[in-house]
Amino acid sequence: MSVIKTAGLTRHFGEVTALEGLTLELPRAGVIGLVGPNGSGKSTLIRMLLGLIAPTSGTAEVLDEPISAPGRYLDRVGALVENPAFVPGLSARTNLMSLARLRGLPASRVEEVLQVVDLIGRDAEPVKRFSLGMKQRLGIAAALLPDPELLILDEPTNGLDPSGIVEIRGLLADLARAGRTVIVSSHLLAEIETVCDFLVVIRFGHLIYCGPVTDLLTRARQRIEIAAEHARDTAALLALLAADGWQVEHTPEGRLSVAADEHQGADLNRCAARGGITLKSMTPVRGSLEEIFLEMTGTGDQDLTGARAAAAERKVS
Amino acid sequence: MINAVRSELLRTRRKGVILGWFGLTILFTIMINMVMAQVVGSSETPPDGGPGVTFPTLGQWQAADGITAGLSSAASMYGVVALSFWAIVTAGDYSSGLIRLTASAQPDRVRLLLGKVGALTLWTAAVATVALVVNLGVAPAAARSADLDVSAWGQDALPTLAGAWFNLFVTLFVWGVIGLVLALVTRSAAISISVGVGYVLVVEAVITAALDTIADWTPGATLSALAHGGTSSIPYGTALALGALYTLLGLSVALTVFKRRDITD
Repeated sequence: MSVIKTAGLTRHFGEVTALEGLTLELPRAGVIGLVGPNGSGKSTLIRMLLGLIAPTSGTAEVLDEPISAPGRYLDRVGALVENPAFVPGLSARTNLMSLARLRGLPASRVEEVLQVVDLIGRDAEPVKRFSLGMKQRLGIAAALLPDPELLILDEPTNGLDPSGIVEIRGLLADLARAGRTVIVSSHLLAEIETVCDFLVVIRFGHLIYCGPVTDLLTRARQRIEIAAEHARDTAALLALLAADGWQVEHTPEGRLSVAADEHQGADLNRCAARGGITLKSMTPVRGSLEEIFLEMTGTGDQDLTGARAAAAERKVS
Repeated sequence: MINAVRSELLRTRRKGVILGWFGLTILFTIMINMVMAQVVGSSETPPDGGPGVTFPTLGQWQAADGITAGLSSAASMYGVVALSFWAIVTAGDYSSGLIRLTASAQPDRVRLLLGKVGALTLWTAAVATVALVVNLGVAPAAARSADLDVSAWGQDALPTLAGAWFNLFVTLFVWGVIGLVLALVTRSAAISISVGVGYVLVVEAVITAALDTIADWTPGATLSALAHGGTSSIPYGTALALGALYTLLGLSVALTVFKRRDITD
């Protein structure tokens, strides 16, 4: 059972290709991360799933209904797209009430979602007085109004302080535990790593990865960082390990980073002992999602924006 | 549909709309009556108006239906304000990003747009009512200040007032629909208002000067005739029919544009 299924989903904006032949299937329930550098096509995908823009070609289904008929599924979907948008002069409660009325929901639902995002007590204040974090919480409250099966949140922790981020993480986990599917778009990979079970990586409108986070993490380069008891032995240790065929690098902290998985620690220890060197520490290190992402995409955000700018410049000239 | 109207009414119930739209309407009503008392009271021929303003003769103002002459004289000014507020409320949804929320909450875009039209129509009716009420208070005072005999004003009061309200309301509604169309096409309140006001003040004057044959068909002339209950060149029935035509045309364009265009903002 999939919550979202796309086949060859493509969207062009004039000569710019925002998404190209995206084919994926996302499982129901759990938290799904939608990751990609800025301009990768995440928002375009979300807008298409919400019926805000139409695909140039390809098909997609949300909750087993085609995106060409959003009326059949949007009453079961809640969404926060980009920055939360509200009427600034109206109170949080009135803003939510207007959305509840639009969806034909009772006023009691507004009370419930205000409690979920902890805005009771501030709900009578005009939204223009809200901090970005509070607006973000109000945006999530608006997304929760229809008690959705599927929740799509675009950068939900934007502007939140650390405690707010932890709160939102907890909220997302609670929603997923309650059987909902939560799709979280973000360019903060560390954030995604802690929250998501499943991951979709997009770059330049192309699908780079679609699968469980754990599968992706196993692709990470595993290393063991070791340190000799006496710093003067580090060079000799490096020579010993290199002679045995280990790939070794110096770390900025003065230790040695050996390409090895955690089960090979004993081999490293024996190699050091053979040279009369005692190891002071041995720490297995697994590559982060960020490192894996950069390896997969071959670039960071800055490189990406630079490439886009260069392409635009070529087009103009 | 009722849900969409109720939702939109709640969203448009904000200070900027209420104070701005109602405030300008009250201001124009007071101003037009005061100015009219001075310029009409001193001449038997219709004095020159100005952009968007046409004055009655002294005889017309002193007639039984003259008490509401201020409303029809300033109808284009009220109309531009109505166009502006319909445009601001509509285009504001795009500039604020609110349209993303509302369109995903109500995927039936026809219903969503008709909800907005319904709510703005109710606000327009309220504005027309306020204009009429304020006019009833100001016009006698203005006439007294110019020592004019307006003893005929009490005759046939109900049909006179009902007719004036209806004509003003329909005029404002058509102006509003024009604002709605411009806002949906341009997705910018500033551009919509500039185009709307520019058309009334400049473009239509140039068109009618250059092409005399279409002078009786243009929106500005039609709506002015509608507000006056018909003129010698555009009878009331024609003005009503043309107003209905412009409204149908405008709503058709608005619905087509709103339904088909992507929401990318």
